[in-house]
Amino acid sequence: MKKVTIIGAGALGSHTAMFLRNAASLTVVDYDKVEFKNLASQFHVKQGLGKNKTQALSGTLQLLWGLRVETFPQKLVTNNAEQLLSGADLLIDCLDNGTARRVVQAYAREHKVPCLHGALAANGIFGQVVWDEVFKVDDGGEGAPTCEDENFLPFIAIVSAYLARMAQEFLTTGKKVSLWIPPSGASLKM
Amino acid sequence: MNMEAKVIVTYAGQTGDLPMPVDYDASDADIRRWVTESLVTGSVTGIGAVPDADLTDFIVDRSEANTERAYPLILCRPKTAFG
Repeated sequence: MKKVTIIGAGALGSHTAMFLRNAASLTVVDYDKVEFKNLASQFHVKQGLGKNKTQALSGTLQLLWGLRVETFPQKLVTNNAEQLLSGADLLIDCLDNGTARRVVQAYAREHKVPCLHGALAANGIFGQVVWDEVFKVDDGGEGAPTCEDENFLPFIAIVSAYLARMAQEFLTTGKKVSLWIPPSGASLKM
Repeated sequence: MNMEAKVIVTYAGQTGDLPMPVDYDASDADIRRWVTESLVTGSVTGIGAVPDADLTDFIVDRSEANTERAYPLILCRPKTAFG
């Protein structure tokens, strides 16, 4: 089974791991902890409150489906990128800041590892599932409204499902498809 | 020869097309300005008039024609800083 490393276990990352559970051996990277507000829009449960997100997600996947997930409860920076990202057949970037996204992008390009990026606009009004070859890192998330309102959950799930589907397509056929996803959920191929 | 591209905008949860194609190589600033004018005047198919439309922070993406789509596409979209 191919190894997929998901960087970021928040809104997109936690759901993408859940959707990809049958398609790949999963590794998840995230230093953040599960907060109460995360329960409304992320694939985390009350039992995970206060735990690191990778370990909480691993516990949930183990409990529900007996899955084992490799976890790295660390902040990704340039100096530990090799340690956290090496060995992956596919990287999936589900991060929420431009600085860390650029670390993933630089590693993927230097080591020629396929990389799929998932990204959401504030207020759940637009999403992207884009291969690194055509991905532009958008800054400006700091201090802005975030996608944590419970009303955004269906759209977050749509974008996560597309991330998992495009990853699955690549793992089985090698084909790379990038999508723009308006709020209707009807994707546009780039 | 300049190629013309279809322009799509996603604004405040709605998505629509500009009524006319534009030069694929037009500047981002020009595209944002044309899209803003179209939104303000209500000429974007699928989106009603938005008199106070503001696309200052919007991103302009471009996708060339390909085997599945015979024409280039330009998308004017909000920032996607979250994951």
